[in-house]
Amino acid sequence: MSSSTREEILRHLDAVGQLQPALHKPTQAPAPTEIDHTLYRAYTRSAHDVGGEYDVPIEYHEKEEEIWELNTFATCECLAWRGVWSAEERRRRQNVDVGQTQYLGLPYYGRWLMTAALIMVDKQYVTLSELSDKIEEVKNRHV
Amino acid sequence: MSDHDHDHKPAPVVDEVSDFEILEVAVRELAIEKGLFTMDDHRTWTEYIHTLGPTPAARLVAKAWLDPEYKKLCIEDGVTASREVDIDWVTSPPTQFGTPSDYCNLRVLADTPTLKHVVVCTLCSCYPRPILGQSPEWYRTPNYRRRLVRWPRQVLSEFGLQVPEDVEVRVADSNQKTRYIVMPNRPEGTDGWTEDQLTEIVTRDCLIGVAVPKPGVTSNVKLPVMKAANPVPH
Repeated sequence: MSSSTREEILRHLDAVGQLQPALHKPTQAPAPTEIDHTLYRAYTRSAHDVGGEYDVPIEYHEKEEEIWELNTFATCECLAWRGVWSAEERRRRQNVDVGQTQYLGLPYYGRWLMTAALIMVDKQYVTLSELSDKIEEVKNRHV
Repeated sequence: MSDHDHDHKPAPVVDEVSDFEILEVAVRELAIEKGLFTMDDHRTWTEYIHTLGPTPAARLVAKAWLDPEYKKLCIEDGVTASREVDIDWVTSPPTQFGTPSDYCNLRVLADTPTLKHVVVCTLCSCYPRPILGQSPEWYRTPNYRRRLVRWPRQVLSEFGLQVPEDVEVRVADSNQKTRYIVMPNRPEGTDGWTEDQLTEIVTRDCLIGVAVPKPGVTSNVKLPVMKAANPVPH
């Protein structure tokens, strides 16, 4: 993603800095000998495997559904219905492959949506340029 | 839930058209242009989603309360029992082969006076959509998924449900192939009630297991509602 002004670049770096995972030990690509079995297991845990993890009570909410969320669900199911992916493949991509930061940081259907975009590119139904051109085109409709 | 006087959080501040809205239109249009599915497919799916909700599951429970043979069938074969409430997991529309993401293995978990079930999906937020509709937001949170399997009584108490110490709490962890609904105990004070009357008190929350049915209570646990910027019209 391009940033045209110094102010935009600084704002972007600041936002990214806020999303750095909080690691409670220094990590700069450690030597293999520094990774024992416990650490190995911890690093290879996937981000969605949260059952039993520590957390504190929060206030639970209901949420109104956005139109784009409903549409995203329908799009993902249509992609499966017509054989572009299977539900297992979709889950692997949107729950595991996204990584911890996106997994915890994006809305539920935000992950579905990004995964749908990526599967079309990865399986070469669309090129990355076609996708970014389309995004620009849709954006311009709203200007 | 539409308690507009009880809004907790407004819709978050985003630009007039969010990046998600733009990406959603882009992905859908590209998929249609490339022939991955048709506009009709998408509309058919959207219409199908609008038909879903917790009523069939509530009716299944009400029927089981009234008919011990049907209750047995529910426990043995939830998919077959679902047909009685017009839910066909195996050949449901619009695909005619069930929904891609819900598979077709429904288990009905019957509570007893000494056993209370509650459902979670720790790995994502698998939910028996065809018979219960879309999952509530809290069910999808990492918080609920983290804590329910370790501190079930505490989490249930946060929904206002205090489970007595002599009642065992059993948490069912859903997965991509197996989905659960809870069949709570029929409450006192419902003698002589019709199936329709009983159906009304079996709320979505009762079917997930975070509430139990009570005469006179026909809505879910009251929680703050997060507003959408462009909500799905109902």
